[in-house]
Amino acid sequence: MVGGGGGAAADRDANSIKSAAAPEVREQDRFMPIANVIRIMRRVLPAYAKISDDAKETIQECVSEYISFITGEANERCQREQRKTITADDVLWAMSKLGFDDYVHPLALYLRQYRQLEGGDHRLPIVIKPPPPHAPQNFAAVPNPNANANAVPAMQQYQMHQYLGHDAYGNGTVGGYYAARGVFGGPDHESGGSSSSQLFPAAMQAMPNFDHPFGFK
Amino acid sequence: MRQAGAYSGLLSGGIGARTGPHSLPLARIKKIMKRSASGSTAAGDEVRMISGEAPIVFSKACELFVEELTRRAWAVTVRGKRRTLHKDDVAAAIAATDIFDFLVELVSESNGNSSGGSGRVLS
Repeated sequence: MVGGGGGAAADRDANSIKSAAAPEVREQDRFMPIANVIRIMRRVLPAYAKISDDAKETIQECVSEYISFITGEANERCQREQRKTITADDVLWAMSKLGFDDYVHPLALYLRQYRQLEGGDHRLPIVIKPPPPHAPQNFAAVPNPNANANAVPAMQQYQMHQYLGHDAYGNGTVGGYYAARGVFGGPDHESGGSSSSQLFPAAMQAMPNFDHPFGFK
Repeated sequence: MRQAGAYSGLLSGGIGARTGPHSLPLARIKKIMKRSASGSTAAGDEVRMISGEAPIVFSKACELFVEELTRRAWAVTVRGKRRTLHKDDVAAAIAATDIFDFLVELVSESNGNSSGGSGRVLS
């Protein structure tokens, strides 16, 4: 008889016989799909290598244990800091603390690339500030009905800000670590008069320099 | 739809749509995280929420983890002049690697898991 703790046993009793065999958590919910695990393993093995079934299952279980291990540490940090949400930053911090700091840089890179590709939807709000009031503007002049003459110079006064709000790196503004190093273009980024439909001109054009060490507090 | 382009070849497996067609399932990762977070929370504490990006970080981290564990285990296999990677090779790799100490108990269990429900037999 598999012991699942008092709660599971009580549930089983309450539900009587029909669900007596149901485990508390379905096995497939506890682990990564084994096909995915095998695919990843094969990437680092020579073509002739064979993998025993018990090795596949063991590594499958190890992955779940790894997630739990890291998450537990990240969760404790959130508790200490009285935050309700475990963020990507917490996960990366926990990995570094628990000895997986070699992973941090590639993961930070992966996360940034993900944000660049996905951020146009909802995650990266684009703020277009209206131009400051323009004292020298000559309102006495005959108003130009099509207003196109004003459109181009007015555009140059717009600043396009990309920021992540209170982002996953625990920084309040502009992507924190990465924006400070100009990856997202930062607040100083000049859109160069290009059209406002170009959302991430810096991000899409430049391959950032990854020489900077990823410093953690 | 996945687009080929500047980013697709950069990381192993590429990014493409979302995290890529072959990456680990985010919902599953989130479930495992939730089980872990709620398990360590005392009764009365609030349940931890999980940001959308945290599982994404894990999807890549787990790949790195599997790759590293597999490489180390395979090194044991090769030393034994074998071509089939066995559970014992994984266990040996875990024992030899400090950061894998949290896995020692997992691979030393001779039969199934102590946290019920799976009924799996590892032999």
